[in-house]
Amino acid sequence: MLLLRCLLGPTPRSLHALIWRTGSASRALARIRAGDAGSENDRAFLASTDVSQIRRNLDRVGARFAAPGDPDYCPAFLRLADPPVGVFARGRPLVRGDHRVAVVGSRRPTATGMEVAADLARGLAVAGVLTVSGGAVGIDAAAHRGALDAGGVTVAVLGSGIDVAHPARNRGLFERIEALGTVISEYPPGTPAEPFRFPARNRLIAALSRGVVVVEGAAKSGTRITAEHAVDLGLDVFAVPGPVTSPLAETPLGLIRDGAILIRGTADLLEDLGLDGDASGERGVPRGLSADERRVLAALGTSMLPTAVAGVAGMPVAEALTVLIGLELRGLVRGVGGRFERTFRAAGS
Amino acid sequence: MYGRVIGVTVLGVGGHPVTVEAFVGRGLPSLTVTGLPGAAVQDARDRIRPAVEHAELEWPLRRVVVNLAPGNLRKEGAGLDLPIAVSVLVATRQVPPEAAAGHVFFGEVSLKGEVLPTPGVISVAIAAARRGLRGVIVPAVNAVEAAQVDGLAVIGAATIQDVVGFLRGTWRPPAIGPSETGSEPATSADLSEVRGQDEARRALEVAAAGGHNLLMVGSPGAGKTMLARRLPTILPDLTPEEALEATQLHSVAGLLAGRGLLRERPFRAPHHSVSTAGLLGGGSTVLRPGEASLAHRGVLFLDELTEFRRDAIEALRQPLEDGRIVVTRSGGSVSFPARFTLVAAANPCPCGFSGDPQRSCRCRPDQEDRYRQKLSGPLLDRIDLRLTIPRLTKDELLGASAGEPSAVVRDRVIAARDRQRRRYSTLGITCNAHLPGPIARREAQLCPDAERLLGRAVDHMALTGRGFDRVIKVARTVADLAGAARVSEQHVAEALSYRTAFEQDEGLARAG
Repeated sequence: MLLLRCLLGPTPRSLHALIWRTGSASRALARIRAGDAGSENDRAFLASTDVSQIRRNLDRVGARFAAPGDPDYCPAFLRLADPPVGVFARGRPLVRGDHRVAVVGSRRPTATGMEVAADLARGLAVAGVLTVSGGAVGIDAAAHRGALDAGGVTVAVLGSGIDVAHPARNRGLFERIEALGTVISEYPPGTPAEPFRFPARNRLIAALSRGVVVVEGAAKSGTRITAEHAVDLGLDVFAVPGPVTSPLAETPLGLIRDGAILIRGTADLLEDLGLDGDASGERGVPRGLSADERRVLAALGTSMLPTAVAGVAGMPVAEALTVLIGLELRGLVRGVGGRFERTFRAAGS
Repeated sequence: MYGRVIGVTVLGVGGHPVTVEAFVGRGLPSLTVTGLPGAAVQDARDRIRPAVEHAELEWPLRRVVVNLAPGNLRKEGAGLDLPIAVSVLVATRQVPPEAAAGHVFFGEVSLKGEVLPTPGVISVAIAAARRGLRGVIVPAVNAVEAAQVDGLAVIGAATIQDVVGFLRGTWRPPAIGPSETGSEPATSADLSEVRGQDEARRALEVAAAGGHNLLMVGSPGAGKTMLARRLPTILPDLTPEEALEATQLHSVAGLLAGRGLLRERPFRAPHHSVSTAGLLGGGSTVLRPGEASLAHRGVLFLDELTEFRRDAIEALRQPLEDGRIVVTRSGGSVSFPARFTLVAAANPCPCGFSGDPQRSCRCRPDQEDRYRQKLSGPLLDRIDLRLTIPRLTKDELLGASAGEPSAVVRDRVIAARDRQRRRYSTLGITCNAHLPGPIARREAQLCPDAERLLGRAVDHMALTGRGFDRVIKVARTVADLAGAARVSEQHVAEALSYRTAFEQDEGLARAG
């Protein structure tokens, strides 16, 4: 079975069909070797490949292969139009009773988007739900981190070989994920990350979950594809809206129009999932803010220059700046490009 | 037949007196120059004879040997043309030797006998005054430079005939009027021309007051260059010593072109394709000051910092540390002063629009990483003030008031600088930027609130040790501008607000 999976040529669907017709993986292999199925390349690959070498590669990284029937092969995969022949996994095995929700979004999100993703994942973790995502930079990484920081379990699905950390800068993150949770890949060791693999891996993200949350995404993005897979599988799709002027809000807003459930934050998500959980987290304007701090916070609209904030709040610029810096140190305000804005945490009040 | 006069060779910035001896004796007509003459001086051999003959003087049809003493000092530059010619004239008794005594002769000579503008005249005058000589005979165009040095008679000659006439007592040079003593056209740049950008204008004031270097990060068109050009307008005026130093450097580089003492602080903005030698000085024969030295006592502006060559930027560490640049050649080393304020500008990311209110950034994360790498490094560590310059929206620009004029801001800067000078009189430094780390904490005299805020910043902003020192120095300057003896919480908050996305992301990355 492992060998079959490693054949990069035929699509998973045609391999499944072949196995079905021939009755078993070994017979399918025999057919390919005989030249009755598959291509010339496939025959050559089989002839030159040593299964034990592949097994050794897997052992070296602590990975295992899972075929339909194995615990790491989520049964939901078979509901896909194009189920994987098998998957590779590292870390904690998937447990049948797990509740899993996917949180996905843009690789270049806004700072607020990352905050939201992290907070959602945190809320899910506290409620005992696993967060599934793609391990990419941006929203995916923020979601994984949010779950991990709350002591929760998270699952990452890679668009590269099971041993290939892509992107490289997330290597540390993958190690953290593997320690508590699971890393899954459809691709054998050594497969590099290539653009066409990511849409394919998105279907697995959807299939692993009972719902998909879209935080931010541009119009034609991988995030959109993941949402569409979710729809095909009959899963719930949740979306966090953004301002109509933002290119990153196009996918969530479009999905909401098409029927996705609008959520404003963790409280909404948990409610819609029917879960009890700590929705408040650290959100909301904390008590114990001085009058000046409240005034400045209230004066903050969208990104504003310190001088503008001072004008609206009716205080000298130096004072306003001091208050802003103080608020920033408490995580209620963020400085971006010389301007200040409220953080997501400060928004719920 | 023997004659001797005094000339000067300019090495680096300083003038070294050279004794020029001429010996005319028996033998086939020839002219030999001894005493380690450089290439330009060797050329003199072929220049001088036609020049002298053109002036209707006689060139001896004998063997002529000219020696340039001291013999172990390399002589560079064409300024020795004139003394060599005069030494031969003295040797052949065409001019009286007593008249030439006590003067320094300096200048390149053309084939027609004109005395051409030559770089370095002010250094020549300084060297002559130091030697106790009574006068200098220099190219007329450069005479105004020599006039800046007290106690010297300045004779500006346009031709060899003028020189001979002076020595024979038949010609007097025109007086150098006071109006010629270095009046540069006032630049039209003024801080009031910057609309809005209150935070950036304030940062400029802080940089000027404390002598801090400044990095501006912002999208194209945000106004970084405009702001940089206005920094010299709010710096205190050059003191006479500073003016002399800067003028010498410009003179030696041949940039004075008939002007006298520099009145305004230099502003140098080399293009990012500049070579290391162009930035720091060098050259194969004549050692010329580089852009960093030409910015001495002024501002060196590096626009698009990431585009400069890495080795050129690395080499700026020395002047930023010591205030001088040492250039070594096989014949020895020369030190050029280079104490300048560094202003650097950069885009926030390769496409330039990260953090822009209207346009979104198109860069890939790995492009951004590489870009960030280019910005980091030892140079950045020496830049105390980092600032994000936002690109103003239309509304923000229209609503913005005109700022204070440079003169008003400069007064505050001067007052703040005076406070620093008084405070540091025993420490041997003149401004907060030069404070070493450990002393900064002591001198800052932080109020308890300020200490508390700093502590929270260390925790929540992942401030490094160096970052901490930077904030303290800048806060001390903010306090000086307010005339406060102790640094308050507000001063620290303002200092903390001067940062760019790079520090913030660094902090985030460190936090995991």
